[in-house]
Amino acid sequence: MKNINERDLPVQWMNWISKREIMTRITDIDAFEKMSGKLQKQKDPNRKSVCVCGGSACIATGSLGLIDLFEKEFKAHGIEDEVDILVTGCHGFCEKGPLVVIRPEGIFYPMVKKEDVPGIVKETVIDGKVIESLLYVDPMTNEKIVYEHDVPFYKKQKRLVLGQNGLIDPMVITDYITVGGYKAFASVLASMTSDEVIDLIIDSGLKGRGGGGFPTGIKWKLCKNAKGKIKNIVCNADEGDPGAYMDRSILEGNPHSVIEGMLIGGFAITASVGYIYVRTEYPLAIERLKKAIEQAKEFGLIGDDILGTGFSFDIEIREGSGAFVCGEETSLMHSIEGLSPEPSQRPPFPVESGLWGNPTNINNVETWAVVPLIISNGSKYFSDIGTENSKGTKIFSLVGKINNSGLVEVPMGISLGEIINGIGGGIPDGKSFKAVQTGGPSGGCIPASLMDIPVDYEKLAEVGSIMGSGGMVVMDEDTCVIDIAKYFLSFTNDESCGKCASCRDGSKAMLDILTRISEGHGKPKDIDLLVELGEAVKDASQCGLGQTLSNPVLSTIKYFRDEYNAHIVDKKCPAHVCKALVTYSINSEECIGCGVCLKNCSVGAITGSLKAAHSIDTGKCTKCGVCREVCKFNAVIVE
Amino acid sequence: MIKKTEKTKSGSVLVVGGGIAGIQSSLDLAESGFKVYLLEETPAIGGTMAQLDKTFPTNDCAMCVISPKLVGAGRHLNIDLITNSELVSVSGEAGNFMVKVKKNPRYIDSEKCTGCGACVEACPVSNIIQCVEEPYVRLSDGDLQKVRFILDKYIGVKGNLMPILQQINKTFNYLPSDVLRYVSIELGVGLSEIYNIASFYNSFSLTPRGRHTIKVCMGTTCYVKGGERLLDKVKDEFGIDNGETSEDMRFTIESVACLGCCGLAPAIMVNDEVYGKVKVSNIMKILEKYK
Ligand SMILES: Cc1cc2nc3c(=O)[nH]c(=O)nc-3n(C[C@H](O)[C@H](O)[C@H](O)COP(=O)(O)O)c2cc1C
Ligand code: FES
Repeated sequence: MKNINERDLPVQWMNWISKREIMTRITDIDAFEKMSGKLQKQKDPNRKSVCVCGGSACIATGSLGLIDLFEKEFKAHGIEDEVDILVTGCHGFCEKGPLVVIRPEGIFYPMVKKEDVPGIVKETVIDGKVIESLLYVDPMTNEKIVYEHDVPFYKKQKRLVLGQNGLIDPMVITDYITVGGYKAFASVLASMTSDEVIDLIIDSGLKGRGGGGFPTGIKWKLCKNAKGKIKNIVCNADEGDPGAYMDRSILEGNPHSVIEGMLIGGFAITASVGYIYVRTEYPLAIERLKKAIEQAKEFGLIGDDILGTGFSFDIEIREGSGAFVCGEETSLMHSIEGLSPEPSQRPPFPVESGLWGNPTNINNVETWAVVPLIISNGSKYFSDIGTENSKGTKIFSLVGKINNSGLVEVPMGISLGEIINGIGGGIPDGKSFKAVQTGGPSGGCIPASLMDIPVDYEKLAEVGSIMGSGGMVVMDEDTCVIDIAKYFLSFTNDESCGKCASCRDGSKAMLDILTRISEGHGKPKDIDLLVELGEAVKDASQCGLGQTLSNPVLSTIKYFRDEYNAHIVDKKCPAHVCKALVTYSINSEECIGCGVCLKNCSVGAITGSLKAAHSIDTGKCTKCGVCREVCKFNAVIVE
Repeated sequence: MIKKTEKTKSGSVLVVGGGIAGIQSSLDLAESGFKVYLLEETPAIGGTMAQLDKTFPTNDCAMCVISPKLVGAGRHLNIDLITNSELVSVSGEAGNFMVKVKKNPRYIDSEKCTGCGACVEACPVSNIIQCVEEPYVRLSDGDLQKVRFILDKYIGVKGNLMPILQQINKTFNYLPSDVLRYVSIELGVGLSEIYNIASFYNSFSLTPRGRHTIKVCMGTTCYVKGGERLLDKVKDEFGIDNGETSEDMRFTIESVACLGCCGLAPAIMVNDEVYGKVKVSNIMKILEKYK
């Protein structure tokens, strides 16, 4: 992100350069621990700071502009030496961005505008008063909330991995060390053997967060014991699932945690090189990762003979180029090798023969980020959280038709309802909740009636969905499940690499049937045909993409058969979404004749004179929905 | 001058190249009573003119001029079309030549084919890249320097093809075919392999792109919240389809799987800047500042 970085520089660099004096290469473990202790002691818990979110979503809503303003105001009041500005990664509550938190009190201001800055500096920072009008209002109770930790969205979460995101500047390695970073790695180097590390991870019960849910410790063990001199590890940051962005937030907000995890993994597996495969759609994440790696190298935490222990490890970044299959592990490796990124047959599994034929261990970003936490707090700390077979916490991106959308980190086993109503704050505009889609294009839709099920790997699979990488898209009564199934299938159809006929043609055939249904030409037998096709594609495809692509269709048929029937038999779309099955009209009682819809209609389908009710010519109407969006009086009806 | 040796005159003519000139010559010759063989390298006659909209300087409709001739050449009893074929050798003398023609396989019985096009629609493989090999690489000195700069960084590195293609895509804003051919020669990697990879990824383009790229997010959340309508709006407004570039080279429109800004759905990204909570009614305003 070119322009962002240029604007980032003043603040970021000043921070970095001032802290840089102590940045010399550290050559032994004692020196590291001394420095880490010193940094932690130096930190004054009562020092005032203004923390502005610099995550992608907050940048899009203008948070960078606020930083300059805060600087200016501080100078104007002459307090630039007493108060810090902290540009952090994503706090998770992106919907309400740009977020500003005043520490040490933790006063929380969402959706801060430029005009608000002078007031915040004068009243809150200097006088310590809270500005009522800027506070967050809970949509469920209409109460004003002052402190960050009291906001219901945060209150019910258990933020182990995301917790540090709001506390540190991702571009400053010493910030990470100050909150205890790299300590886990140093203790591994100082006092553990690689088998001990692996056993600790196995004991913790950590399972992969990338979708497959394979036990991480066991994967490491397999890779360590595999034959081969050179071993590689890979961090899978090709977050392709539409609707999921937790990996992005970790990389942008706390890149060092991922690097530390990889260093520990590299030590345990006795690997010498680690690759981070990031998708190019995340330019900011790539930028921050590069900086983080550079800093860790300068510190001597990456490179040859790390901290004088003889362990050498290097990390390289590889960019993806926008192909969903590249998230699949064999395909990802082909992409790194520069070959055509088609998945290949497993076995041999990557842990036996991966990158350039060497044993390779692939883990997801979130998996790597959890590793340091387990090492520093012990396996029991982690395995105490969660259900019998799913341990720890998991980050979900809670998005869609929901009041508080954003990233939520919750203990495994929490109920779906608790996430949606307790943390998400329910459905906006008084609409009713219909279903939640988990796991992206490989997952399924879970209906409102199953809201009490605990969220873990096994339960989700039981109801026909998957945990996946943690996407959670909430749908209300205005969402048509056939439209959603069609959406996912056209995505997978587009992203199928074309190697297996079952996946390539099967997805096309299913998509054709769904399109037919949504256009009102469905036949009664179509539902059974879809099920049959779906099962066949599942059985006959080679990689995870094909094996799971029918899940969205099968699960919607399972829970919403009525809606399919409505489309096929009655030729009606109950949610009024499928264009061919709805008509637009204007309610003459509500319409006051303001003419806004007429102006915005691009095909001239609306007629009427000022101050008199308008009408829509259904012959010309393309059902684009603009009129409904611009009407302030809800006079446009869709039936 | 052509020496006339009456005895050996064969009475038939081979025209090489089925463009407008070749077609017209064939028709004229055929009308004058010669048997004509019209040889063409590509699978169909017509050449460049069939791809043009208008002709210079009269602004005549190109298709209206050429199509009667295409039909004429196809139907004329004195003309035999030999398409998808190459001339291998010529021997003999004026008036009586022997030529050797290599006919490439079509895997279709051209006697029976009516050209209805149904097979094209039914074929599940749709992204075959037809790249006609050209014998040499045409690069300006400036471009060559840029490519060399990229290649020098990566030559000898394991798995270097992806980063090289990414850099070229960034530098030129697309992957020019001449550059790819050059890369193929320099790296010793087959051109087909390079095209295989270049056509696999969404962010590579084989055609020139506009000054600004509008990426409309089609992630689940943006879709549920009306992202498709944004896409329709920009497509309508510039009269181009997804993946195409406006005529003035200002915008290229692309849909992307997810920008990872789901909290701000529906979102678009213009170049590297993200805009959230975009509406059909204000999207054009956002685009105004990109000239
Ligand atoms: C089609 C497909 C797409 C995938 N996409 C991703 C992805 O975007 N990110 C990811 O971490 N894993 C993805 N995976 C899962 C990986 O193949 C692999 O299981 C995972 O990276 C292993 O890491 P873990 O053990 O930490 O989960 C995908 C799998 C398939 C079949
Ligand atoms: S980007 Fe600021 S809260 Fe997510």
